[in-house]
Amino acid sequence: MPAKSLPAFHGFGLGLRVPHYDAFLATQQPVDFVEVVSENFMVDGGRPLDIIDRVRERYPVALHGVSMNLGSVDEVDAGYLRRLRRLAQRVDPLWISDHVSWTGIDGFQSHDLLPLPYTEEALDVLAANVSIAQDVLGRALVLENPSTYLAFADAMMTEASFLAALCERTGCYLLLDVNNIYVSATNHGLNPDDWLEGLPLERVRQVHLAGHSQGRDMLIDTHDAPVPDPVWKLYARFASRLGPVATMIERDDHFPPLGDLLDELQQARDIASAVACCAA
Amino acid sequence: MNLDALQRRFASAVTGVGHPDDFEARGMRVYANNYRGQLVMALRDTYAKTRLWLGDDDFDAAAGRYVDTHAPSSWTLDAYGRAFPDMLEADYPDDPDVSELAWLDSTLRDAFSGPDAEAIDPAMLAADDWDAVEFVFVPTLRFRSMRSQAVAIWKALADETMPPGPMRPDDQGESGVRVWRRGLSPQFASMDAHECACLDLALAGATFGEICALLVRRHGPTSVAAEAGALLRAWVADGLILRLRQG
Repeated sequence: MPAKSLPAFHGFGLGLRVPHYDAFLATQQPVDFVEVVSENFMVDGGRPLDIIDRVRERYPVALHGVSMNLGSVDEVDAGYLRRLRRLAQRVDPLWISDHVSWTGIDGFQSHDLLPLPYTEEALDVLAANVSIAQDVLGRALVLENPSTYLAFADAMMTEASFLAALCERTGCYLLLDVNNIYVSATNHGLNPDDWLEGLPLERVRQVHLAGHSQGRDMLIDTHDAPVPDPVWKLYARFASRLGPVATMIERDDHFPPLGDLLDELQQARDIASAVACCAA
Repeated sequence: MNLDALQRRFASAVTGVGHPDDFEARGMRVYANNYRGQLVMALRDTYAKTRLWLGDDDFDAAAGRYVDTHAPSSWTLDAYGRAFPDMLEADYPDDPDVSELAWLDSTLRDAFSGPDAEAIDPAMLAADDWDAVEFVFVPTLRFRSMRSQAVAIWKALADETMPPGPMRPDDQGESGVRVWRRGLSPQFASMDAHECACLDLALAGATFGEICALLVRRHGPTSVAAEAGALLRAWVADGLILRLRQG
């Protein structure tokens, strides 16, 4: 069954995390949407569901998952999908997103976004699982490029061409994490500016902006720091090609005051506006 | 190598079981660190009071042993660490406060996001035949017997007050503790030995008459009405009972 197309939505949002729940519920914050981690709300009851209900009364919500395990040779977990569908029925999200990765196999769950080789076989496996998930959820998925720390010798495609083929086969959409592009390209000695080549830009529904850390050997996607200058510059160059697209700041640790994140979001707005003015 | 073999070998390498040479060492080091770090963080989050009680070094050493011996199998990190109290019980056989504190941490976490249920309104508490009444409890209710003063320790750690000192040989620990959620707030309360026995019986489906019979055996017939009435009032007032069922 072909995936239903997603309606267009442009705006600027934040990843909503525990330290900022109260602020988002006490006052209408200047965001067009929030994104929450799906798994935190795929629970039976209690405060998490009370919070998501109240957040949803105030803000459009995107559901962003980390455990769908779409790239695994295991078929996607039916119990997981049922819980996610129940949450989506409750929240009526803008869209549901997850990652182009795998998290486990044969009953093992790493709780990390593990890399896929960009091969036809991996594409077959991923596309089959994406199609199953889209059928169960009754909507097209939005899928994000993860940061990667190693490459596979038998890769036949670039990451962008792999994603293009995935969109073609499944009708899914894309979430571009500009920080992840920068981290992966730097770690693999590639030019991040070349990353969009071959990507169906019209399938991009969302952009993530985040920070990273310098590890011993390579950049680590920690999402625990402000968006650094090289990522802002890459975003500016990409924004001119992407056009209007939902964009957000994603922070997962070392949370600053909410005002700092809103300042970063304003910087994203300013860059997008400047790019749009130049293009007009 | 096909994808099935690659993913199996990758999973082994990430968990440190085997096949590290199949992958680029620098990158695999990052994935292995992420895996381990994420799981230790999840344990620190769930077992916050246990960590305070043990101290960071001993807690992280225990968390490391747990990660070495327990691979996660659920999509939710909330499920990881369910066996941590059991491991601590084996690791600290002479310090039951450690594993009992961990049980309390874990059970309160489960109650936090457990199924919603509205406890019975005390005004609606009526039955034609009380002897035959069975109790249906809120779904988050759990209980266990205790050998230590873990409940008092947990409270002291939460309130940042002085925890009780070590038990003397003739001290009685708390007989038991029950955990449940009322509205959106997880709750816990100590129980004496009689309440432990009665709750155990009630959760097994015993009727109020059978619970009263147990109290008669323990207290004699004279005070059973007062004892049973007090127990029932406490369970209702605390929001433990969902509804009555005529057995």
